Amino acid sequence: MNKIKIIIKREYLTRVSKKSFLVMTILGPILMSLLIFTPFFLSNIEEDRLNIMVVDQTLSISENDSVYLFRNQFKNSDKIKFEYFDDIETAQSILKEGSVDGVLEIVKTNDTPPIKGFMYYGEEDIPGSAQEEIKNQLTNILKNSILRLDYGMNEKEIAWVNNPTIDFYTKNIFSGEESFNEIKTLLGMIAGFLIYFFVFLFGAQIMKSVSDEKMNRVVEVLVSSVKPIELLFGKIIAIALVSLTQIALWIVIIFGIITFAQTAAPEIFTIQQEQTINIDQRIITVDQINATETPEASELVRGLFAINIPLMVGMFVFYFIMGFLLYASLFGAIGSLIDIDTDGSQFTLPITIPLILAIICLPILSDNPTSSIAFWLSIIPFTAPVAMMVRIPFGVATWEIILSCGLMILFIAGSIYIAAKIYRTGILMYGKKITYSELWKWLRYKN
Amino acid sequence: MNILETKEVSKSYSSHKVLDKVSISIKEGEIFGLLGPNGAGKTTLIRMINQITAPDEGEILFFGNKLKREDIKNIGYLPEERGLYKKMKVGEQAIYLAELKGLSKKEAKKRLEYWFERFEIGDWWNKRIEELSKGMAQKIQFITTILHEPKLLIFDEPFSGFDPLNANLLKNEILNLREKGATIIFSTHNMESVEEICDSIALINKSKKILEGNVYEIKEKFKQNLFEITIPYQENINPLIIEGCQITNSIINKGKLVLTLSIPQGRNAELLSNILKQTNILSYREILPSMNNIFIETIKNNE
Repeated sequence: MNKIKIIIKREYLTRVSKKSFLVMTILGPILMSLLIFTPFFLSNIEEDRLNIMVVDQTLSISENDSVYLFRNQFKNSDKIKFEYFDDIETAQSILKEGSVDGVLEIVKTNDTPPIKGFMYYGEEDIPGSAQEEIKNQLTNILKNSILRLDYGMNEKEIAWVNNPTIDFYTKNIFSGEESFNEIKTLLGMIAGFLIYFFVFLFGAQIMKSVSDEKMNRVVEVLVSSVKPIELLFGKIIAIALVSLTQIALWIVIIFGIITFAQTAAPEIFTIQQEQTINIDQRIITVDQINATETPEASELVRGLFAINIPLMVGMFVFYFIMGFLLYASLFGAIGSLIDIDTDGSQFTLPITIPLILAIICLPILSDNPTSSIAFWLSIIPFTAPVAMMVRIPFGVATWEIILSCGLMILFIAGSIYIAAKIYRTGILMYGKKITYSELWKWLRYKN
Repeated sequence: MNILETKEVSKSYSSHKVLDKVSISIKEGEIFGLLGPNGAGKTTLIRMINQITAPDEGEILFFGNKLKREDIKNIGYLPEERGLYKKMKVGEQAIYLAELKGLSKKEAKKRLEYWFERFEIGDWWNKRIEELSKGMAQKIQFITTILHEPKLLIFDEPFSGFDPLNANLLKNEILNLREKGATIIFSTHNMESVEEICDSIALINKSKKILEGNVYEIKEKFKQNLFEITIPYQENINPLIIEGCQITNSIINKGKLVLTLSIPQGRNAELLSNILKQTNILSYREILPSMNNIFIETIKNNE
C-alpha cells in the first residue's frame, strides 16, 4: 500500500508540473469562453455597408394613381443602403463605374410568382447574407402590398398578421413546474461530452504512459520492486486525480470569469420579478404574454435552478469516475501491448467504438430521453457514462439509475481483472507481434 | 548456508513448458553462473526469484524459508531489458527507485551521494537521462540496482550493451560487493564472459537443468588430460614422446613448437623427464575444457 502511494505521488507530480498541464488549465476555460462569446462579438462587428440601386419596373396604373410596388419600400439596414433609379441601363453603367455595389432590377412576368428580381453586381460578389436579406425584403414587400391593396388592411393589421413567433411553454402536469427542456438538453450534453472528452484524453494518456515504460525498458526494473497491478493502478489513480485537479481548477477559473462578468454586467444574472401565466386560464391577453417575456440569459439562470443540481453533480462525479476506471484499465492493458516496433491500433479501435457511438447518439438521446435506445445506451456500461448524463437532467427512474450503476461496477470489476492479466504479461513481452488469440491465451494463464 | 534454493520449479505458458522441474541451490557469498542458450528459460527462472511471475509447481526458498513479498528488498535485479525514465532527472529517479525498494528518501540520498562520488558523477544529479550518453546511463542503472545493499544480486546478461570500459568497472564493483558479503547470480548465454569469475554454475537447456556444480569440480570432471607444451623448434619430435601419448595438435610459432598432447593419467612426470633429457621446456600447462565445450559435451551425452 505504501508503494502504491509512492507511485501515485510520482505520477501525479510529474503530470501537474508539466507545462502542458498549466497550458490546458488556463487555455481550457478561455477557449470555452471564446466559443460562447465569439458569435456575440462577431455579430457586433460593423461590416461595410452595401449600396444597392433599385430599379423598379413594376409600374401599375390603378384608378387614380400610378403605383410602383417596391419604390421606397426597402428598409435600410446596417448592411445595406437602398437607392432608387428609373432607368436600368443608366443604373448598370453607374454600377460599372463602381459608385454602387449592386443593381437590383424588379420586373413583372407572367410566371408565378408574377414578380422577379435580378441582381447585377460589380467586381466583387454580393455576400450571401445580403442576398438573403434582399430576398426576404422583396417577399415581405410583395406580401404586405397584397394585404394592403387587395385586402385593404391597415398598418396595424398587417403588423399583427406578420407577428412571426408564438411563444411555447412546457409544464409538467404533476409538479406544475416549467420544464426548461432546452437548458436540460444543453446541460446534459455538456456533462456527457465532458465525460467523453476526459475519458478519451486521460485514457490515451494512460495508454501512452504504460507503453512508454515498456519502451523505456524501465518496467521490468519497476516490477521487481512492486506488483504489476500496483504499478497500473498507481498510474490510473494518479491520472484520475490529475483530471479531477484539472476540472476543479477549471471550475475555479470559470467561477472567477462569471464573478467578473456579474460585476461587469449584473443585469444578465438577476431574476426578474414577473407574472407567470396561469395555464388554467384559457384566454390569455397579449399584455399578459408580453409581461412574461424575459431576457434569454435570465431564463437560463431560472432553468438552472429548476434542475436537481446536487443529483446532477453527484451523478456526474460517479459516472466520471466509473467511466474513467472502466476505460482507463482497458487503455492501460492496450498500452502494455505496444512496443517499439508494434502499435496497438488494432486493439484501441474496439474499445473506442462504444464511446464514439455514445457521442454520435447524443442528439437522439437529448431529443427523446425516454426512448428505448436512450434506455439501452444508458444501461450498457460502455456507453452509460455519456448516455446517462444526457438523460439525468430530464429525470430518470431510480431503478434505472441503480441498474446502470450496478452493471457499471460489475463491468469495472471485470475489466480490471482482464486488464491486470493482460498488463502483467504484456509489459514483459518484447519484440513479439501480439494477436487476439495470443491475448486469449494470456487470459487463461495461471497467476 | 544456501541463500537461495529452487525445488523442482516448473512453468508453462499454454502448452509450452518454459521450465521443467528445475532445482538449483546457491550458497551465500558465491558468484553463481546461470548459463544456457537464449530461450532456455533463464529469464523465466530469474523472474520467479524476483516474484514477477510465480512457478506453476515447485517452490523457491530464500535463506531456507519460502520466498515472500518482503524478500524483494534483499534482492537487487538488473534485467536484460533495462532502462530508465528518459525525461526524469537522474537524482529524482534514483531516489524513486530506491523508495520502491523500501529505502527512506533520506537514506537513499545519503547512499547516492556516496556512489555518485565514487563514480565521479556528482554533477549529473539534475540532468535528465536523455541528456546522458548510453555509458553514463549504464552507471546510473548499476547504482540503482545495488543501492539498497541487497543480499542477493541478480544480473541478467550484465555485459550486453555495456561498453568494455563500463563492463570492466561493473565486474570490479561486483567483485567488491562479493567481498562485502553479497551473493551474485549471473545469467548469460555468453559463457566465456563469466566462467573465470563464477564459483558455481548451472547449465540450462530447453527448460531443463542439465548440469550444476562448482566450476573447478566440473572442469576436473570434464577434463581430457590435455596438456600444452612449448619447446624450441626441432625437426624430429618422435624421440621426445613416450609411448601412450598422442599429439593432437602442433604449431610452429616464432621458432618455437607448441604441442597439444593427451597424456595418460599419471604419466606426466615420465613424459616431461623424457623431453628434458633432450631439450628445454619453455612452458607447460594443463588445458581445461571451456564451459562452451562442457555444455556441448553435456548435451551430446544427454541425447
